[in-house]
Amino acid sequence: MDFLYSYLVLAEIYVLLGLSTNLLVGIVGIFSVSQAAVFGVGAYIVAACTMSDTLSFIPALVLAAGCGVALNILITLPSLRVSGDYFVVTSFGIQLLATAIFTNWTDGTGGANGLPGIPPPDIFGLPVAETSEFLMLSTVALGLGCLCFWLAMRAPYGRLLRAIREDELAVAAAGKNVLFAKVSAAALAGAFAGSAGGLYGSFLSFVDPSSFDLDASILLLTMVVVGGARTLAGSVIGPFVLLALPQLLALVDIPTTIAAAARQSVYGLLLIAFMLFRPQGLAGEKL
Amino acid sequence: MILLQLLINGIVTGCALGVVAISFSLIYSTTRIFHVAHAGVYTLAGYIAWSLSTRGVPSVLSLLGAVGVCAVVGALIQHQLYHRLERRRASHLVVLIASLGTLAVMQNLIAGIYTPNILQFHISWSQGTMRLGGVLLSYAQILTVLMGIAAYAGMMYFAHRTMLGKRIRAVASNPFLAEITRLEPKTVYVIVIAIASAIVALPGVLVPLDLGLQPYGGIGALLTATIAMIAGGVGSISGAFFLSVAIAVVQNLSLLVIPGEWSIGVTFFIFVIFMLFRPTGLFTAR
Amino acid sequence: MLRTIRVGLAALAVSLAASGGAMAETIRFGAILPLTGPGAVVGTQEQRGIQFAIDEANAKGGILGNKIEVLFEDNQAKPDQSVLSFNKLVDLQHVPMIFTGYSGPTLAMAPLATRKKVLMVNAGAQSDKLATASPYLFNTLPTTGDEVSVMAKYLVAEGKKNAAVLFENDAAGIGGRDDFRDSFVKAGGKILAEEPSQFGQTDYRPALLKLAAAKPDVMYVVITAGMLPLAQQAKQLGLNFTVAGTSFFSDPDTIADPASSGFIHTQVQISAPPALAAAFKQKYNADMEFFAKQYYNAATIILTALEKVLKDKKPVSGENLRQAIFDVRKFQGLIPMEFKTNTASVALDINVMRDGKDNVLKEMKSQ
Repeated sequence: MDFLYSYLVLAEIYVLLGLSTNLLVGIVGIFSVSQAAVFGVGAYIVAACTMSDTLSFIPALVLAAGCGVALNILITLPSLRVSGDYFVVTSFGIQLLATAIFTNWTDGTGGANGLPGIPPPDIFGLPVAETSEFLMLSTVALGLGCLCFWLAMRAPYGRLLRAIREDELAVAAAGKNVLFAKVSAAALAGAFAGSAGGLYGSFLSFVDPSSFDLDASILLLTMVVVGGARTLAGSVIGPFVLLALPQLLALVDIPTTIAAAARQSVYGLLLIAFMLFRPQGLAGEKL
Repeated sequence: MILLQLLINGIVTGCALGVVAISFSLIYSTTRIFHVAHAGVYTLAGYIAWSLSTRGVPSVLSLLGAVGVCAVVGALIQHQLYHRLERRRASHLVVLIASLGTLAVMQNLIAGIYTPNILQFHISWSQGTMRLGGVLLSYAQILTVLMGIAAYAGMMYFAHRTMLGKRIRAVASNPFLAEITRLEPKTVYVIVIAIASAIVALPGVLVPLDLGLQPYGGIGALLTATIAMIAGGVGSISGAFFLSVAIAVVQNLSLLVIPGEWSIGVTFFIFVIFMLFRPTGLFTAR
Repeated sequence: MLRTIRVGLAALAVSLAASGGAMAETIRFGAILPLTGPGAVVGTQEQRGIQFAIDEANAKGGILGNKIEVLFEDNQAKPDQSVLSFNKLVDLQHVPMIFTGYSGPTLAMAPLATRKKVLMVNAGAQSDKLATASPYLFNTLPTTGDEVSVMAKYLVAEGKKNAAVLFENDAAGIGGRDDFRDSFVKAGGKILAEEPSQFGQTDYRPALLKLAAAKPDVMYVVITAGMLPLAQQAKQLGLNFTVAGTSFFSDPDTIADPASSGFIHTQVQISAPPALAAAFKQKYNADMEFFAKQYYNAATIILTALEKVLKDKKPVSGENLRQAIFDVRKFQGLIPMEFKTNTASVALDINVMRDGKDNVLKEMKSQ
């Protein structure tokens, strides 16, 4: 049953990331394509701390979340200056810069070779080595994440964030603190992404830059869009569907020589079809 | 000596990149669509020309064939995809994601048909070299520079001196006004993407002629071109072109002072800082 | 909505199980390779190599009457997809053996292989860490370290003591560079300059110009793709030093091109008999290239081990296959190969490219 479990664990980790992306892109309207960078930083921090035995898993995860907060605030800063497509490109730039650092800072990240042999997490002395045990850990983390998200959205704070997306100027004119709202949303998103990274690294026991590149950021964005923007349900469904998609597509029988490319094309076609016929995703609101 | 060679090499790369940038800028400044699938059109051009030339079609006709096919493909993307999305009042994000989907389809179809291997043109003259003022250049490189300058000059003439060019600029500056003054923005958009796709086919063929073809390489070139476009000021043809050349030259020359693995990172770092302090670009269009 | 997910997953599991249970008489192995994305260049070659060997065995009636099937999974050269694919193949299809390639994904799967006692066979990646990653991981290629040190010693012995290094900025390339740094300096040489190239990016001129400015006797190259553009650009720039490299050099188009004349490289001795190469070409309309040969060879090793396991009337498990490989020890596939450890010891040549052919300069051995 480990296949199902590992699928669930990865999907849950991606749901945490999906919440992070949804908060930024869907709710506040900061179109970030660099969430994978924050995700990666979280993974590398937990890897470095637990491998060198400086911190055990839980404190390391907290540290990763904290760094995620700081980093996400830093990289969303340009969005206060530039808007729309300009920020998209800036964000692309940040993502590529992060990839360059992950790949080339050999002493810290293991470079392109990655870091193998990350120890499995231990919770107050209990090792979490089996996939089924890890599933419980990631489910708890996911539950906490969803709860945070749900509470934030129900509060007046959530309405403020939505209002900013609709009309930033009007919100500012009404005397609300737009800057604080944006920065705090970015911080929350950073905490989600950072801790998701920590879980990811410990689960795979291996990290390398290929998991945190531009493609990963775009995959995340796709998950949110397919699942549905701006809703909790959408953030949950998206990752589950998109991680299952390659497995489902593998069932379609195509000659082996062109199978792989054909499957990837189907994947692209699905994206186009969604955008044309159901832009609100499976369970979201209109983008 | 190495300084001069790196400089020239940067200019060659920059000319190709510049043409990608002006064609993307033409689309973006007119339609406001972040047409990522442009990278797919760019890649497609090389493969079409390769197919034609390996079947014995003369080089010039192969190039023209690629230009023609790309123009049609570009127009189809606008007419069949973006236009429909527009009718459904899709947001920017939706259009961008649809465009990413299109890029994925194009790249993978190409990889499926031609294999993901690096393919080389079998045109012997393109590998010949010439010494110009102490710098060795292949014919393909010389051709790239000539094409870049010609495309830039042609584009300037087209945008400022021809009726169609003026009409495009009118639509770009105010689509609503263009609509009521019967400039037909919808038709203009199709024409714009067709023209831009035809133009991007030129570097799309000439760069692989020098460096070889591969299905997944287009996005990198497009991203650098986009950065040049934004840094140069959206809507400015000169800004997009010369910033592309400048970026390519800086990337080449930076090798003299920093190890190559950091050059991409440094380029984007400078760009991010730049966006923080001068988000409207160096040359403002209007 | 949660219910939809559950129903969907159940459907997924059922359909997978159904596709798994259809043919009971066949023995199933797995292969997790990059079949899409930039890594697919190598991945598809590897896939064809395996499939060709399996088809050949099945055409002869299988192994002791058992048909063999290999289930291919695409990991896009990514570690998380690899772990998913691994669990899928092992849990749902119960495969005892999986072919892998690429260092990162293989390293990510290695702990799982150890825990679940699934044999993994790598015939493509050469990272030094692979040698010790798992007792269940076999490498049919020497690690980069072994291969590079052979060339380093040869170069110094030939009096070429000043080197420049051009490496691909990924696991394979950086590993090769580090190994060359170590063994070349140890052999008494000096490294004057190093320059990376991006995977899949074929403009080598800036890097070549910079390396040439250091005036080396030899340029050591560790790149896995884009050899032909490199050779052509090196020739156009009129570089006058020796170009040396690893088995990655053996790309037929590059060898055939006059631009590569004089390039030397280490070469894992592997060659397909003409009849085999022709049959391969006829089937796939593509030459049997280096990685296709490697994985064909790896597949024959596994089939030999399988035959031994079946003859001994043992169950086909990862553990038994592993033991069988050590029991057989010496294999005669496309190349003679011996498993003293998990990493094969093979014959290694130093070749020089000339007149469109790859000629042997000197014969050596890895380890």
